[in-house]
Amino acid sequence: MLSWSGVEQGVKVDLGAIREANSGVDVQFANELLEFATAATELDEKSLDAKREKLVRAAGTAFTVDAAAVVANFEMMTRLADSSGASMPDELAAQRLSAAKAMGVDQVVSRRYPQTLPSSGTTRSVK
Amino acid sequence: MAISLGDVRGDLRAAHDGAIEALSSPGTWWTGAQRNELARTAIMAFVEREPVAPWVGVSSVAGKLPAQLTAPKIAHDAIYRIVRHAATLTREWYDKVSAEIEPLAFIELCGIACSVAAISAFRRALGLPSLELAPVKSGDPSRTKPENIVAAKLNWVPVVGPADQEAAVVQAFTAVPDTNRVIWSMADAQYIPDKEMVDPNWTRGTLSRVQMELVATRVSQQRECFY
Repeated sequence: MLSWSGVEQGVKVDLGAIREANSGVDVQFANELLEFATAATELDEKSLDAKREKLVRAAGTAFTVDAAAVVANFEMMTRLADSSGASMPDELAAQRLSAAKAMGVDQVVSRRYPQTLPSSGTTRSVK
Repeated sequence: MAISLGDVRGDLRAAHDGAIEALSSPGTWWTGAQRNELARTAIMAFVEREPVAPWVGVSSVAGKLPAQLTAPKIAHDAIYRIVRHAATLTREWYDKVSAEIEPLAFIELCGIACSVAAISAFRRALGLPSLELAPVKSGDPSRTKPENIVAAKLNWVPVVGPADQEAAVVQAFTAVPDTNRVIWSMADAQYIPDKEMVDPNWTRGTLSRVQMELVATRVSQQRECFY
């Protein structure tokens, strides 16, 4: 979705840089957003306070509230997907494999496609 | 520069308030007391600094849960793992859980996990007061079962047929309509209204679509979610 919306809006997207939390998207407040999203998904309250403050100063309160809402949505949707065993049709998963590799999620348990897609390693499994 | 609940959009507050009320109200397969109890376990899973390991049931750890439970221990074990270790879930795990919890009740449990994760994450991200559950409402579960529930190829859980005509995340909770409604009303307010999803230029006037997707991508990557 990020790649698609970037193409549609003429924005350069580097998924590898996003993986390293080092921006990678040529869009306003990208660094602040990425730092905020990262801190919001970890348990360091001091870091989160600092990154939130930085985003508020850069983009304002309403912007920060809506950024937090997107964080909340994907904390929700990742659980929805993983708990319901959501998968993509094989052809769609194959199309997205390069993006998944760039983001480092091509080998995660939630991939669920070991039988049809090329694999470059052992899928982690916790039963 | 503290942010308060008064800074939150009205539609978003209403969606979260509705979800909070539902967490303590009779559902489709669980009572209000059971839902409230499971939501408390979900909150614990979300906030604990030293979480129980994915392969350990939270109910087996002394002092983690109340001595008297209204929901089965395996339901508590399942919701804890969904909230804290979602990326570790496997088909084998689902088969084990759904052998003891009816699949539609499992879907409702997943919905409780999703509601708690969303609201707790939102509040933590903004430094707002933690989620507090509403008082339990009495009453029986509705046990409303849609017609035409079928197995899906794109999900472990059953869905309302015809299956696999929509994305897996869209059909995932359709077999429990009340759960499905709560989750998607939150998604509309937190992210993008369903009817606007195809528009790459849609915005509320704050984040652009690319900015939203940047945040979405980072959170999904942090949670190791391939989907």
